[in-house]
Amino acid sequence: MPHVLTDIARSLMQSPIHTFALYLLSNVPGFPPVIQTVHILGVTAIMASIVMIDLKVLGLALPSQGTAELVHRLMPWMWWALPAQAISGLTLVLARPLRYAVNPVFGLKFTMLVPAILLAALFHLTSIKDPLFWERSSGRRVSARLIAGLSLLLWVGVVFAGRWIAYADYLFAME
Amino acid sequence: MSLVDLWPWLESLPLAAAIGESWWFPLLESIHVLTATFLVGSILMVDLRLLGLAATTYPVSRVVRETVPWTYSASVISVITGLGLFITRASHYVDNRAFQIKLVLLVLAGLNMAVFHLATARGMAHRDDAAMTSTGARFAGASSLLLWVGVMLAGRWIGHLN
Repeated sequence: MPHVLTDIARSLMQSPIHTFALYLLSNVPGFPPVIQTVHILGVTAIMASIVMIDLKVLGLALPSQGTAELVHRLMPWMWWALPAQAISGLTLVLARPLRYAVNPVFGLKFTMLVPAILLAALFHLTSIKDPLFWERSSGRRVSARLIAGLSLLLWVGVVFAGRWIAYADYLFAME
Repeated sequence: MSLVDLWPWLESLPLAAAIGESWWFPLLESIHVLTATFLVGSILMVDLRLLGLAATTYPVSRVVRETVPWTYSASVISVITGLGLFITRASHYVDNRAFQIKLVLLVLAGLNMAVFHLATARGMAHRDDAAMTSTGARFAGASSLLLWVGVMLAGRWIGHLN
């Protein structure tokens, strides 16, 4: 698997989009902190949507607001944040693809991100079909709490891993 | 002791060395980022409500009441972890332009919040349920939004300056 990633990274480095991303990051004053801030603001939207819903389902936050209503109201913020995250994140990755391909924390981040997004989609889609889906039986209520707890841990893990990519660079630098 | 002596003194603390020379620094920084995004996320929920852009069917006071505990808890952890990072290179950070701007924006954001909670929010009880809030409340929401985006941008910029 790591070979596949480094192969992809090497072919990306032949592409004009790599040259363009690298040019933006190296030559436009303030571009790196601005693009990173866009990425962090996207995380803010994740916190105010799916993470808040997780806390609500766990009985910790927003006591007077209904879960189904919250899902309906907050989840669009997450789905709008994700493309912004992909664009800002890809700009950084395309500029230095090999740096990320050889960084195990980068892989770890996506290993947690994919199930986190799938759990959010599961929760949202079932709530669209039936707003009370997760409240119809005690078994479902327990399942909803387990999903929320796992989702919360995964999102915290994604944020931590995202921050640690830069630290892992010192340990796994290859470029 | 004057302020000029304070920064090297902070750096000379055993705690500063313990954080700066170990995995404590990245750990504290990760917690700082996590709680800062959560803190700003909880504030955005209120700001967007004040601007009439979200949660318009909920009274403003209810959105405020249910998010403020999270905002405060996240602030406390952000400040503690931020101080832990700060003391490792205090004299470097006080000279860092991005750090200086971040602190000014933080103070402004805090003042903005205080004015809103102490004055504006009290005067709007009679229209708590209204989707469209008063001009003062919308101003508070918009300025809070801008100030916190500024805090994050300046905060992220600190590491790019040497």
